[in-house]
This record gives sequence, structure tokens and C-alpha cells, in this order.
Amino acid sequence: MTGPVRTLVAWCPDWPVVAFGRGLDEPVAVVHANRVIAASPEARRHGVARGLRRRVAQSRCAELDVVERDEAREARTFEPVLAALDDITPRVEVTRPGTCALVMRGPSRYFGGDEAVADLVRERMGEVLDGRTEVRVGIADGPFAAGLVARAAHPIRIVAAGESPAFLAPMSISVLDRPELTDVLVRLGIRSLGSFAALPAADVLARFGDEGRGAHRLAAGLDERPPDARLSPPDWSVSAEIDPPADRVDRVAFVARTLADDLHQRLDHDGISCVRIAIEAETEYGETLLRLWRHEGALSAGAIADRVRWQLDGWLNGSAATRPSGGISRVTLLPDEIVPASGRQLGFWGGESEVDERAARVAARLQGQLGADAVKVPERRGGRHPDEQLVLVSAATVELRGRSADLPVDGDEAAPWPGRLPAPSPSRVPAKPHAVELTDAEGAMVTVTGRGLASAPPVALGIRGRSLAIVGWAGPWPVDERWWDTDDHRRRARFQILTDDGQARLITLEQGQWWVTALWD
Amino acid sequence: MAAAERVRDLRLVADQVAPLALARERTMPLLPALTSLFPEGGLRRGSIVAVGGVGATSLALAVAAGPSASGSWTAVVGDPGLGLAAAAEAGVVLERMLVVDPKGQDVAGVVAALVGSVDVVLVGPGVRIRPADVRRLTARMRERGSALVRIGALDEPGVDIGLRIVESEWTGLGVGHGLLRARRVRVETQGRGSAAQPRGAALLLPGPQGAPVVLGEPALGEPAPGESEVRPALRVLA
Repeated sequence: MTGPVRTLVAWCPDWPVVAFGRGLDEPVAVVHANRVIAASPEARRHGVARGLRRRVAQSRCAELDVVERDEAREARTFEPVLAALDDITPRVEVTRPGTCALVMRGPSRYFGGDEAVADLVRERMGEVLDGRTEVRVGIADGPFAAGLVARAAHPIRIVAAGESPAFLAPMSISVLDRPELTDVLVRLGIRSLGSFAALPAADVLARFGDEGRGAHRLAAGLDERPPDARLSPPDWSVSAEIDPPADRVDRVAFVARTLADDLHQRLDHDGISCVRIAIEAETEYGETLLRLWRHEGALSAGAIADRVRWQLDGWLNGSAATRPSGGISRVTLLPDEIVPASGRQLGFWGGESEVDERAARVAARLQGQLGADAVKVPERRGGRHPDEQLVLVSAATVELRGRSADLPVDGDEAAPWPGRLPAPSPSRVPAKPHAVELTDAEGAMVTVTGRGLASAPPVALGIRGRSLAIVGWAGPWPVDERWWDTDDHRRRARFQILTDDGQARLITLEQGQWWVTALWD
Repeated sequence: MAAAERVRDLRLVADQVAPLALARERTMPLLPALTSLFPEGGLRRGSIVAVGGVGATSLALAVAAGPSASGSWTAVVGDPGLGLAAAAEAGVVLERMLVVDPKGQDVAGVVAALVGSVDVVLVGPGVRIRPADVRRLTARMRERGSALVRIGALDEPGVDIGLRIVESEWTGLGVGHGLLRARRVRVETQGRGSAAQPRGAALLLPGPQGAPVVLGEPALGEPAPGESEVRPALRVLA
């Protein structure tokens, strides 16, 4: 058999939203690295689309609820849905949380045809989903075509064997999801998969290289890579015993990372990349759990470790029906589908550079050691106060690779914030401001009147029991923020104070109390 | 004859292509305002820099800004209160910055993990590293070519060059009026090895835009570079 394998793809739309347990009739957007990656139908109705910046999305739909993407949660909540398919076929493959694929040959023969299997899959998944979202099922030759069929399905669509190229031909070239390649093709006047597939394969390879060839094969309804004629590979699987058996994810996660690194190193050594990996866990009572994960492009060490962690999380924290009966005593990773590594050219100017790669690696390592929130990166937010303009977000939520390349800051940072203090900014912004006393010549506390004036010139700053003489001061600069919101409403008055020890401070009066909010050290 | 000539030519080529690490190639570029403080004119890879005095944080950011602007990553360890806006104004590229919270665990281990992957590691004030750990770190940093900047650890062992702010005076803020504009500081160095000879510099740190500005010969009373207003000359219209 040489053609693409007949495949069923089941797709649950808007999974990142569903995973948060939110109804699709609420306006919800899931963001990652400040961009919307999924939105509920209700949010889409207001014009929230994928790829929008958080702020733009919020401006289009005021009551939009923005949540940060949580891939682990997506995977964990998808696991029970997958488990429902276990008695149809043991080899269910996860493309990403929300989308799974299964090979049709066995099940189709056993259950009596493609339609029967499609109905069964939809029914089983629908039972678990319980109306949270729908299931769309597509059957075609090869996972790529089947995935597109599933997206076009209402709710089931079956493209007969051999008809896949005809189904793909009128589709837009953008479904290949290779923006750099399709940009060029569109400019060359090639707008549909059919017209791309009509080009001679040798010319495509000569002009667009390996990546172009893969895309060309997909467009023609073939597998991305020609079948590998080599003998079955040596055993590349890696496994680790866990003693005593672990029933908590954090304990297994550490093993997962070492295993992933180990596997990646071995594959690298043989010049091989892995596009589909089988994750197998054995429990202390001898149960075996298996799940396949596929990735567009090759799986990096970090990506493998993430998938192993999600999968184990899904098993250990799943519903009572699917949870293993005991702790996990052994984890095995089997590279299930491998391709020759095409190598990766590191960028010379910008793009993916080696320094980013190294930084991303050490960040991942420290996160593994200290916890996901131990490594953070600054993100521009905008605001009037030093602690609002830039905030720290967990490095796990940001793509560090290629960060050097997209340096230019856009929209958000350039937005005017009337009333923010001009440069130089304070070099110390304590997470917790501490209370101080600001007194005038009579020793009475300085207050700010309703008209925004100081009650008297400040003379001394009482800080941790010491009293410092004030040699320079300016202010007050009152700020009345979010007065339309009873919960977030803040009224503050700010002063710059220079004391005789040479230290300049930003102090703020809020609710009758003075605080040191920042220091120019 | 021809053979000897060819050998000579080959030698010449070999000399030109041989890997040769001069001291100045083992350094990272610094902001121009700071070059006069460092004996090599750059931040030597593998060295520990300590900064102290009122304004130490601004000085540490200024040291990290040069390498950061030229493409290096910066990591901040154990300093959650660092002013990020000030870092950006000093010239540190925030897109290439990691902020690590050691969570009470062994700081030296965290720093050791970072050196080699990140070129400049900034360690916050109040973080203690044991002398034995410093020695191990130094060896690792020399091998990996990273530099460590410690805030407020001037007298700790292992410091290659210490920068101390000895005078500091704010400008721009009056009594009841004005705005903090810039701080005139005098930085003096202490150190060992090539940095043993003391050096000094007068800077605006932070300068009016946040980045340090070198103060030249003019006395403190005169307008500093970047501060003077340039007005076009008046001309007579007939």
C-alpha cells in the first residue's frame, strides 16, 4: 500500500475556550503571547478574530473575558473525550488538544464501513462532551485531507477513497499553514491547492526545497513525505522506572523532561526527527496506557516534554472512569513516526538565532527545577504608574525563540498615558509599597485637598522609624483612575521627594496613607 | 624555491585564519559613557562586577545595557523590585531579559545554570553567595564567557572590578516645583588585576532620557551634553 492511509479526523471547534469550562455563548477569548488564539462564537460575533492583540480584541467587545492560554488544561480536559474512543481503536492520535485522528482500516472493517465508524465516534465523543461543543468528523485519504474535511463537515463528511485530490483542489493555498511559502505562491498567481499540485514536483523541489516539496505533496493529496523504504528502525524508545510509583504529576513531570531530552539527543545523533510519538505509561498493577501525539513539523525536546506532561496530567487527573487504578511506575517514549532531520538553519540576522535558543533552553530548565512561575519575562502593558507600564509574565506563556527578531514595540506601548511621569523612570519598584509619614513644619501629616493641592509644604519623611529632612519636592500630581468602576477605582496623589540622604522617592497618598511606591536608586 | 614560497604563503594564511582570542575580543561592548571605567574598554567575559553606593541599581542597569543592546540576553536573579521601565530607558532590551526568582533555593545553583546561556547575569541586592560557590561560579563563567553584575556586593570576595558611586546630586527638582531630571554622579573603581588602577568618571546617571550620559570637563554648574537648548540664530528679514 503506497497511497495515504485512510484517516478519520474528529474536531471539536473552539477547544481552548471549552477547556476553560466556559459556555460558547459567553464572549471569551483565549490569548497567548498577547495575541488572540481562539475566541468563542459569541466573541467572534462581535468581531474578535484570531491573531488580534489583546487590547484590540477588548476594544471590539467591551464585555470580553480574556483568559491566558493553558495548554496543559486543554490536554487534560481532552483526555476523557479521547478515552471514549478507546474501544473503537487503541491507537487514537492527538494532533493537538481538540483534534484527534484515527486510522480507518481496522475499525472500518470491524464496524462495517466508514459511515458506521464516523457515527460511532461522534456519538461517543458527544456523550462525554455533553453539549459543551459539537464534534465534526471527516474521513479522507491522509490526515491532512481528513483534517480539512472535518472542518468542512456538518457534522460528518466522508470523502470517498481516491477523491481527496479533487476535494483539496479548490481550497485556498493558505490552508497549508506555511505563511512564508504561500505568500510567494500567491504572488506567483497560485491561489488554490489544485493549481499548486499541478506544478511539476521536480521544479517545486528545485525552487522551494524540502519544505516546498512537502507542501506540494500535501496539496496533491499525498502524504507529506514519501513512504520510507528503510528497514524498521532500531529501537529508539526510552523509558524510565518510577520508584515508588507516582500518582502526582509534578513527580512524573521531572522524569518526563529527562526522558524527552534523552530521546531527543539520541534521535539527533542519528539525524532523525520525530513527528509522532507514542507515550506509554505502566501502572503499578500492570495496566498499560498509550496515546499517540502528532506535531506539525518535528517535535523538539521541549515540545516532547510538554506533551508527556500533559498526557500524564490527563491520565492522573482524569475522571474516575478513565483514571488508572494505581500510581505510574514506568513511562516509555516511542518515536512512532520518524523522518530524516532536515536540519535547521539558524538565522544570521534576526529570526531564530542561537542566543534565543540558548536562553529559551535555560528558562525551560529553571522552570522545571523551580516551578513555572519562577522564570518571568517583562511585557509592556501601559499605565500611569511604574508598576503598571511593564509587568512580569511567566516565561512559559511567551515564545522566547525569535524574540530578538520582533523587537519593535507597537500600539500598546506607544499609546499615550496622560499623567504618567516622564523619564527617567524609577529604578526600584517594590512589589509591596511600604507605609511612610509625610509631615509639615508643624509635624502634622501633609494631606492633599480636593482641589489637588498640598495642605502644607512637606518638611520631613518618616520612614521605618527614622525621620529624613526633605531637600526637594514636587507635586502633588493627582490621578483619578477607573472612576467608572466601583471595584477598581483608585484615587492617588503622587509626589517626588528628595531627602537629605540623596535618595529620590516617588511617594503616593492613597486612602489617607502615604506609601513609597518607587525609588530612584 | 617555489615550494618554499608556497610554504611561506601558507604560513601567512594560517596566521590570518588562526583562532586568536585577544583580551578585547573576550569582552562585551559597554555603553560609551562607561568605557572609561573599565580597563579593557568593555565588559570582560568571565568577570564579576560589583556596584555600590546611592544609585547602584541605575549603575548596574547601565553596565548590563551595553551587552544587551548588542544582542546578548540578560537575566535578573533575586531582584523582583527592579524597575523595568528604568531598565528599558537605560538601554537594556527587555525582549531579551529573563527575571528569575530562586524561590529561596540555592542562588548559586540558579546563577550557575544561567551562565553560559545568558551573557549577563544581574544579581540583586541582599543575595548572599558563599565564597566557595563564588569560586566555582568564576571558573564556570570563565569557561562559558558570561559576566556577573552584583548590586551592593562591593566587599564580597571574587569581585574583579567594583564601581562605587561616591557623589550623587539630583537636578531638576526644586522645593515645591520642578521634576527629577537627571542625577550627576561620580563613579570610582576599585579592583584587582588589570582593574587595580583606580579610575573615575563623572556621569549623568540616569540622564534626562534614562540612559547614562558622560559628563565631560565642564564643571557641574554648566549644562550637560544633551541638556543644552540649541536655538537657531535670529536673522534679519528685510
